[in-house]
Amino acid sequence: MELSNIEKLLEKYFEGETTISEEKELKVYFTRETVPTHLERYKDLFQFFSKESTITATKDLKLKTQRKTRYAWVGVAASVVLIAGMFLTNQPPKPDKNLGTYEDPEIALEETKKILNMVSQYMNEGKQELVYLKEFENTKNKFIK
Amino acid sequence: MREGAFITLTNGFKDKLFRLAKRLLVSKEEAEDATQEVLLKLWRNKSKMAEYKNVEAFAMTMTKNYCYDKLKAKETGNLKIVHSNYKDEQPSLQRQVEARDSLDWVGKIMDSLPEQQRMIIQLRDIEQYNNPEIAEMLGINETAVRVALSRGRKKIREALLKKHNYGVV
Repeated sequence: MELSNIEKLLEKYFEGETTISEEKELKVYFTRETVPTHLERYKDLFQFFSKESTITATKDLKLKTQRKTRYAWVGVAASVVLIAGMFLTNQPPKPDKNLGTYEDPEIALEETKKILNMVSQYMNEGKQELVYLKEFENTKNKFIK
Repeated sequence: MREGAFITLTNGFKDKLFRLAKRLLVSKEEAEDATQEVLLKLWRNKSKMAEYKNVEAFAMTMTKNYCYDKLKAKETGNLKIVHSNYKDEQPSLQRQVEARDSLDWVGKIMDSLPEQQRMIIQLRDIEQYNNPEIAEMLGINETAVRVALSRGRKKIREALLKKHNYGVV
């Protein structure tokens, strides 16, 4: 391409009035080996543009698949079950409503007597065993006067 | 839409998203993250995909917004963008090194432009979108695109001229 044409294109380029295809022409022109000295400085610019357009991303795209979200739901469900389970099993046992109350005072008296008798009987049985304690006392008195 | 179809669809413009993100965020790692994030968002909303006129343009807009958010978050967090894009050093000829060095200059000049101009030059000169497409992606009108494009290009030219004449930017 003629030099004057290139200069005209450059002027248009810096005014932002070139078309895409004209810019392509410029790029092609300036990636050549030899360029007139007064245009040398634009070489870097257009070469830079060509070079930059070849840079690529190196990381591969990893899409989160649907499976992962399904597992997340399992986790949520499990924790709900766990917490629910803890609350259900930890409830204190309900107190027994039947306290053995008697409606008739006479029967109540009889029953109380019966129970008190039973208690005293056990007490007496227990006390018989205490006879041996007396022996300790006697033996002690023999030695310590 | 199945996973495979989605990946084939997005592979067409995935690199463009990445390059735009890299232009705005500078760091390569962050740009990778941004790309992933945008594509995942797109995947999650795949049921609405049929409603979009142009999925690619839509994804570009998403990337732009995502990067703006990131940049804003950085400003408020008072963090600096750290970029450690070390090139893998292959044994190369002196000339190649010099050439790459001067290309890096262009990159540096470009990264010093305001975000909008940077983005428009990226979309136009590197990705070769036309002005109406860019206007749609960025949500501005075509005249604004053309003006910003011209300003950005002229700024780059000035900087290149300085560098060429004095070796400084």
